[in-house]
Amino acid sequence: MKHITEILDNASMAALSENELNEVRAHALECESCRSAYEAARLSAVVLKSRTQVVVEPSPFFQTRVMAALREQREAENVPAFSRLWKSAKVLVSSMALTTAALGVLTFVLPGTVVSDDQAVSAYSAESVIMGQKADEQLSYEQVLSTIYEDDEDAR
Amino acid sequence: MDLDLARQAQVGDESAFAEIVRRYSPRVFSVASRFFRQRSLVEEAAQEVFLKAYTQLGSFEGRGSLEGWLTRIATNTCLNMVRSSKRRPESTVSDLTEDEASWLEHQSAGDGEQPSVENEVVATDLADRLLSVLSPEDQQALLMIDGEDASIKEVAEATGWSESKVKVRAFRARKKVREAMEKLLGHRNEQLDSAAD
Repeated sequence: MKHITEILDNASMAALSENELNEVRAHALECESCRSAYEAARLSAVVLKSRTQVVVEPSPFFQTRVMAALREQREAENVPAFSRLWKSAKVLVSSMALTTAALGVLTFVLPGTVVSDDQAVSAYSAESVIMGQKADEQLSYEQVLSTIYEDDEDAR
Repeated sequence: MDLDLARQAQVGDESAFAEIVRRYSPRVFSVASRFFRQRSLVEEAAQEVFLKAYTQLGSFEGRGSLEGWLTRIATNTCLNMVRSSKRRPESTVSDLTEDEASWLEHQSAGDGEQPSVENEVVATDLADRLLSVLSPEDQQALLMIDGEDASIKEVAEATGWSESKVKVRAFRARKKVREAMEKLLGHRNEQLDSAAD
């Protein structure tokens, strides 16, 4: 028994000849799987026809809209090369200028906040912490040394 | 005539290009409607087609019709839009709405319901659901041949594919859609059985 699915898949339902359709129908009466294939092919053809009936018509303003977009496109193409370059580099240049200005402010306008190298190095040394105490709390040189090397002596 | 219009538009005659847009908009919209159902998307695609056509006017040599040339640009532009949008819905061919199940039942029983806007919408939704199992290219081949009764040659001209490629695509698409419909019908039968129990 020759199944008819190939006939169904080979051409649209509308393009099947009368002979082919008769063959399909006759076979579908005897074969259950081909019957459901034929039914599915028939319904598919109906929904596909419906789908192609849905056509959006151009609105009355469509022509105007296209012509406006075309002018816009041509204007964009006619902008000189330097302007286009400037357009793309504008953000980079502005951010660089802003950075330079910020550095200038930090260097010249707020010099007091800058510390010297000596201060920076000694700021956290043990000697400066101890020596920086108030006059009445000041320790002698020997006391300072013994405080610093206290741990070493303990170790010894 | 077409060639003159194209040449005038190419040298910057805006009214000539406006005439091309006016004359061939319906054709371009009809092609775009095969790909999209939403008006905004169809208009967007159609505008893109005409802008592209304007930049390619020099390649129109007048051997074929301007309408055929625009149809090809429209088909390829829409295919690209569909491919890049990645909006292909998941192929859910198992869930049927009540309306769809009822529509299928009437159609299967051979008492096709009276044509109405509601029925057309149901049938179109079903078509989209079936088409979602296909690639955009296969959808085109099937919609043109089975939906619009176009010949293999016409599809080949509109898409730029060879005739054998069109045949293969249409065969494959028809088979997939038929199988998807069989699945839907099987699901509908299951629904009917469970309702009877």
